[in-house]
Order: sequence, then C-alpha cells, then structure tokens
Amino acid sequence: MRFFITTLEIVLPALYFATVWVYGKAFFAGNPRAAGLRRVLLTSTVATHLVYVVIRTILLEHFPITSFFEILSLISLTVSLVYLYIELRTDNRETGYFILMLPLFFQIISSAFIRDYIQVPPALRGNLLGFHVSSALLGYAAITISAAYGLLYLMLYHDIKSNQFGVVYKRLPDLETLERMSFAATFVGTILLTVAITLGVVWLPRAIESFSYADPKLFGTIAVWVVYVFGLVAKQAAGWKGRRMMVVTVTGFVLAVVSIAVTTILPYGFHKFGR
Amino acid sequence: MKEKEPGLALACVGINHRTAPLPVRESMWFSVDELPAALRRLRESRSRECILISTCNRTELYYVPVPGEAPAVPAWQFLASLKRHEVPPGPDNFYHLTGLQPVKHLFKVVSGIDSMVLGDVQITAQVKDAYTAAIEHGTTGTITNRLFTAALHVGKRVRTETQIGEGAISVSYLAAELATKIFADLSKRTALLVGIGETGKLTARHLASRNLGHMVIANRTFSAAEKIAPLFGGRAVPFDSVAAEIPGVDIIITAVQTSRPILTMADIAAAMKMRSNRPLIIIDLGVPRNADPLINSIDNVFLHDIDALNRIIDLNVAHRRAEVPKAQKIILEELNVFYRWTRTIALGPTFQDLRDRFEAIRGQEVERIRHRFSEAERGELDILTKRIVNKLLHTPMTNMRNGRGSSDHQDTHKKISLIRHLFGLDKQL
Repeated sequence: MRFFITTLEIVLPALYFATVWVYGKAFFAGNPRAAGLRRVLLTSTVATHLVYVVIRTILLEHFPITSFFEILSLISLTVSLVYLYIELRTDNRETGYFILMLPLFFQIISSAFIRDYIQVPPALRGNLLGFHVSSALLGYAAITISAAYGLLYLMLYHDIKSNQFGVVYKRLPDLETLERMSFAATFVGTILLTVAITLGVVWLPRAIESFSYADPKLFGTIAVWVVYVFGLVAKQAAGWKGRRMMVVTVTGFVLAVVSIAVTTILPYGFHKFGR
Repeated sequence: MKEKEPGLALACVGINHRTAPLPVRESMWFSVDELPAALRRLRESRSRECILISTCNRTELYYVPVPGEAPAVPAWQFLASLKRHEVPPGPDNFYHLTGLQPVKHLFKVVSGIDSMVLGDVQITAQVKDAYTAAIEHGTTGTITNRLFTAALHVGKRVRTETQIGEGAISVSYLAAELATKIFADLSKRTALLVGIGETGKLTARHLASRNLGHMVIANRTFSAAEKIAPLFGGRAVPFDSVAAEIPGVDIIITAVQTSRPILTMADIAAAMKMRSNRPLIIIDLGVPRNADPLINSIDNVFLHDIDALNRIIDLNVAHRRAEVPKAQKIILEELNVFYRWTRTIALGPTFQDLRDRFEAIRGQEVERIRHRFSEAERGELDILTKRIVNKLLHTPMTNMRNGRGSSDHQDTHKKISLIRHLFGLDKQL
C-alpha cells in the first residue's frame, strides 16, 4: 500500500504533465492525434488521482486535508474533475491546456513536499467537518476555474483589441462564452465559499478547542469571499461586464493563492493539524 | 508512380478559373435543376459511370469511357454541348485528363489547393453534393464510387490534419468572423450598416448567413438604403440618425466617404453608458477612416479599420500557403492507396477467367467419373474437388492481389500476360 502511494506521487505529476502537453500540442500545433488523445488521457489522470486519494485515505486513516500539500493535491483533483465535467457538458476542449496547467502546478508542489501525518486530531476524523472542507475545496476549485477562464478572456480580449489574430484567437471560444463560463464558476464558487465560511464560524468553535476568530486562514478566506461578492454586486448593480469583471475574478484568485501561501507559512492559527 | 495509367479507364474533362474567363465559366455552370438532364444525356451517350461537378469556378466531368468505342465528338465538345451558349467556349478553355491524372486532380480540388481561394472550405461539400446527385441518378459505378469516396476522405484528412482552410482571407468574411469571436449567438444581435458599398454589403451578407438577428441600414441616399434593406430582412434609417441608433446595436460596419469621422469618441462613450457597457464591435471600412481611432481605448469596444483587417488577411494567406506542402503529402499518400486499388481491378477479369478455366476442367473431369459413384457420394465429390480448386488458386491470387515483390503497373500487366499465357486463358477449351 505504502509503495502504491509513493509510486502514485511520482506518477501523478507525470500524468498531469502528459495531459497538459497533449492539450498544448492539440491547441498550438493542431495535431489531430493529440486532439484525439486529450480526453482519454485526462480521464485516466483523474481516475488515477481518485485512486491515490482513496488509497491515501485508507492507509493514513484520514481524509487528505491535514496539510497544505494534501489540500493542494485535492484542489488539483477537484479542478481537473470540474474541468472534465465542463468539457463533457460543452464539448469544448480548447481551454483545457490553460485550465489544467494549474492542477499540474499544484500536483508537482504537492508530490514534492507531501508528508504522511499519522497523528491527526479527532476533529479532523469527524464527518461533519467533511461538509466544511468539501465546500471550501470545491469553492476554491470553482474560483480557480473562474480565474482561468477570466485569464483566457483577457488574453483573447487583448488579441482582438490589438489585431493580433494568432492561435489564441483561432482556437479559443468567443468572449461571451468565456465570460459566461467564468461567471458561472464565480457564482458557484462564491456560494460554496459562503457555505464553508458559515459552517466554519458556526460549527468549528464547538468541535475545535483552539478555534479563534483571529485565525489567518479565516481572514484570508473572508477577504477572497469579499472580492467575489463585490464583483457579483458590481455586475448586478453597476452593470460591470467583460474586462472589468474578469479582472475582479483574476484578482480574487491571486488573493486566494497568496492567502493560502501566507497562512501556511505563518506558525499560528487553528488550521494547523498535521504532526 | 506514373500519372498516366493506360490500365485505368478514367477520364476528366473540365473548365476552371485557370483556363477560362468568368463569362465562359458562367455559361458552363449547371444549376441543381439542370443536373438531372445533363446526367441522363451523359449516361445515354458517353459513359455509364459519370459525375458532374459544377461550382462558380469550375465545371468538371469525371467519367469512365466506354471501351472500344471511339467517341463521335471530343469530350470538351460534348460537355459544351450540354449547355446553350451565345459564344461557345473553345478547346483551349478545357483540360482533358486520363488514367491517374483525374484522380490526382480531384484530390487537389477537394483539398482546396486548386481553388481560386486557397483552402476554400466549401469545395468538399460541393464535391459531395455532385457525388450524391450522381448516385441518385444511377450514374456511378465501381471506379467513380471508389474515386469519390477516396476524394472525400482526402478532403476530410486535409481539413483535419492541416490548417489550409483556417483564417479568413477576405475583408468581409474576416469582419463577420470577428463578430462571432465576440458574441456567442448572433441571432440575438443587431448590426448597423452605414453606407452600402460592395464590401459593406458583403460583410452584411456574411453576418446574415451567420444568423444575425437584426440589421439596420443607413445611407446618404435614403431610398438606396430602403431598396436593399429587405434583402437582409432589415430596416432602413436616415443617415442623420446613425448616432441615435448606436446604443441599440452590437455591430457597426461603416463604409462611407467622409472628410471627418462619423463615429466620435464622445458618441461611442455616451452610447456605451446607455448600453450598460455591453461589447460593441466597429468595422471601419472607410478611407478616410469613418471612426475616431481613439474609440478603441474604450472598454469593451473593438474597433478594426481596413488596414488592420488587410494585415490580418496577408498573414492568413501566408499561413495557408505554408500548409500546402502538408496537403500535397496527404494527396500523395492517398494517391498511392488508390493506385494499389487500381491494380486489383486490373487483375479482376484475369482472376475470373482463371477461376472459370479451373472450374471448367474440374467439371469435365468430375463428369467423366461421376457414374462410378453413388448418388450420395456425388455431392461429396463436388465439394471435395471444388475445395481443391479453391486451395490451388488461393495463394497465387492473394500474392497477385497484394502485389508482393512488385510495385510497378507494367509489372502487373506482365504478370497478367504470363498467367493468361500459362493457363491459356485467351484460348477456348
């Protein structure tokens, strides 16, 4: 079992790399063989990642949410899963290269630094916590995808504005579709983050003794949430559209990454579990 | 590989943009309504297998000549006679191809590398339509079926494996394509055409063909706008009301001669506020420019002038040209596949004769001794002897069909001659 985990920690980044490479080859070179291989490879990668999470959960007797690097791997999986779902729904495979770059990046970092924590606080073994963690993870996955579509929007917007009609112009879907996809992901992500924050604030004080409202991760998540809520309100009330909304989306994502990185580095806060 | 194959009974006579001027090509164009009568005449008098392709830039007849029959008139004359002309085309306007030449030519046509517009994407559908019409009228056969199936396969490969059809190469098409890169569904969008010059109208036509929702047309001469508005299912507005229309439209195409811009920064900025910052695309085809270039700095406004569009077109043309060698490589590969198939059809009659000869010998020998066997044993005797004949013929026929050890058409003909000589296939038993 241990051997499987170690092997999969090496195999997963390689699989993500191969998937991104195939998507890139199809996008930039229009290679038909790569185009045909894309979805098969992505499905295999996601399936392998699911197997890895299940084996790790069984072996270490806890869901892999106890460290930053375990969470990175889970976000990587959820982003890939959500992207696969979107690809199946829209049958548009041209954005995969850009979206799947993030899971590749996350999984490389996770595989390089992940450690096995055997002693996990009882609170992290509870089922109720699962709702809090699942909604937070899915929320972060949704805003990751939203930011990726936002970034693609900004690239295409820039190309059209400046008359640079290269491969980005030729292969990406239209601006309206990218904006719609980004907005849908933002909307879902904001709701999920709302659920995660609410559950955390209401339930966690009863489950975790060291809970504090001054926790850096709580602050960081609320800051990210505020940015997205501001974007949604601005869209509804002030009619923000297109480039402005995409800038908000990307800003929210950058803030989320910075917040996670900073709170991981900081030595205090009740969101530190692994021993 | 030789292009002129005496063994392949296939010919093509045609006229295209390289051999004939537009009036001549027009006079040789067959409408969908004219095709049935033309195909009927072709089948009755020229060939049992024939397919007629007719587009705005070419009319080509692919046919299998009747063996041993010298045609009364040359092929070009026959093709020309299918239409009535005020000034009949001459022999120099036509090309005549035989053997494998028509195959290579059709592969080039369907790839778009023989088109007036390099990489023309419509040609595959036009070839498919011509083939379908021929099937419906029963004028296809073994060779033409194989030829057109292979050609459509070539067309599909070229489209998917190369980028020869990518990137717009006309201003009007590019302008319409730009709109589809910004808006997901044009049926919910409105375009404003200012000025009814040729390029402006063409752009409007391309937008209409992409299911544009509404069209508003403004022109200095209002009656001219009123005249063309119904062609696009649109409405005409006075030239003075252009600024008032801007908040309600999503695409503006301007092509008027004017000494100062008719679309100003102030007009567009005010309109964007009124339209809640929804994206607006402006295609400025006018010289001097009809729109203030500073407009492009406004968020969600996409301004493209004629120079910018032409620069993109030049790049797209160069890109398409760079893809031609890839298309040619595919054509060569598929031509080889077709060539190998032509060898098997050349062997067909000899195989049949060989089988008939063996069967005749088997029948004669079985008949001589049949009386020595009981009624029940005679059936088994037939089965046994037929099985022996089949096994004896299987290996040589398979090797001949696969062309093992030979790659030359003349070699195949030598082998056919040798087999016919060895087994006396040209003599009566």
